[in-house]
Amino acid sequence: MTWLSKSTTAFGLILLAHACYSAHEHSALQSHRVASLTSLGTSQSGTATSLPIDITIETIIATFIICLGLVSGTSRLRPIQWRVWAGQIEREGEAGFLNSSGEVEKDYVGNPFRLLESRPGFVDIRKQRKEFAEWVKNQ
Amino acid sequence: MSSSLLHPPSHLPPATALKHSKQAPSILANSPGAIATSTLQSLLSASETAELWTTYENLLLSCLRTGDDESAHQCLGRLVNRFGDDNERIMALKGLLKEANAGDDNATLDVILKEYDQILQENPTNLPISKRRIALLRSRGQIADSVTALISLLDASPTDAEAWSELADMYFSQGLYSQAIFALEEVLVLQPNAWNIHARLGEMLFTAAKTSDTSKQLAEALKRFCRSIELCDNYLRGYYGLKLIAKQLLNEPQKATKQAESGEFSLPDSATLRKLDEAATEKLAEIVRRYSAAEKGWQGYDQAEIAAAQQVLQNETEATVR
Repeated sequence: MTWLSKSTTAFGLILLAHACYSAHEHSALQSHRVASLTSLGTSQSGTATSLPIDITIETIIATFIICLGLVSGTSRLRPIQWRVWAGQIEREGEAGFLNSSGEVEKDYVGNPFRLLESRPGFVDIRKQRKEFAEWVKNQ
Repeated sequence: MSSSLLHPPSHLPPATALKHSKQAPSILANSPGAIATSTLQSLLSASETAELWTTYENLLLSCLRTGDDESAHQCLGRLVNRFGDDNERIMALKGLLKEANAGDDNATLDVILKEYDQILQENPTNLPISKRRIALLRSRGQIADSVTALISLLDASPTDAEAWSELADMYFSQGLYSQAIFALEEVLVLQPNAWNIHARLGEMLFTAAKTSDTSKQLAEALKRFCRSIELCDNYLRGYYGLKLIAKQLLNEPQKATKQAESGEFSLPDSATLRKLDEAATEKLAEIVRRYSAAEKGWQGYDQAEIAAAQQVLQNETEATVR
């Protein structure tokens, strides 16, 4: 998913750069022509200053493509209802909170209230050690 | 680096603890040992992240659990380098390391306890150390001392939900149900959205109702489980408790509800109970089915909890067949 959104964004940026370059070239050409025309003595101006329609269209399309690429590259939206969010934690576990590259998001903490039941401040390390030794023996 | 190293490891199964502690040497070798304090140096060396220190702390706990003392000492050394000897949290971790190394040696534990006392005499507001002291007392079986110390801690800092929860657990282990329920209700006052604590309170009330047999407690437990489900969709533990209570209330109808006049929550009538029972059965069956079918998005449940739910459902069908 990421490479798709990244390449879309890159393509949009290239299009945009191309449109800018075209616009610049066009204006340079235009001023050159105006200068040569005034030197000839004829005064024809007005429509000559507007950009050709294809450059305008290219700019607009490029902007849309960049937006599309950026939007598709954002991480998934989180539920805003408490019970839906809590239910997702219980139901999906870590698998429900992967970012676009398939890793668990860094701010994922699981059930934040589990600390009230595991109570790391009061951990009985000697008991845990014994239990672990038992577990190893039974393996 | 595994993401679960960022979470406190005490609830993790032994296999995960072993996995973490096996990773310890490679993590220690790959992560920076010390962070430069001067601006010039910090531009050149690796940048400091909050996750790094959380990782060290949790790695320390996992290593202590599995008995990998060498890595534990290294983790602690790095933490001390960064935060200094007089940081309260570091002091607690140091105490933890000593406790783990002492094992069952009573003399050493006495010395550690004395050290804690001395630290607390110098600075009575050192919360991590006083929590360690309470935990050590409890671990040595001096429950009464431990409860007294915990109550004085709560007098000083009544908004500590973790301490209230520990108090509830201690009372519960001693069979003092009404005190335990009170302490857990305090936790809910501080953390009203904690769905697992609602379920835990429901379980405690259910246990208490078994010994003293009052319909008031069963009604309260029913309410707690309903609240935990309200706070958390598809909460297996909540539905499991709801199922048990509804079944019990349907099997042995309580005497006419006399508590209604006092404005407290009274038992719902049997039609509502039957509906609750049906809803819980349906949901449990759905959860078990989807978990066993390895459906995507339903794999976060604990396997033991699923097995227990399956057992309850099986008993139910056997009873109906008979």
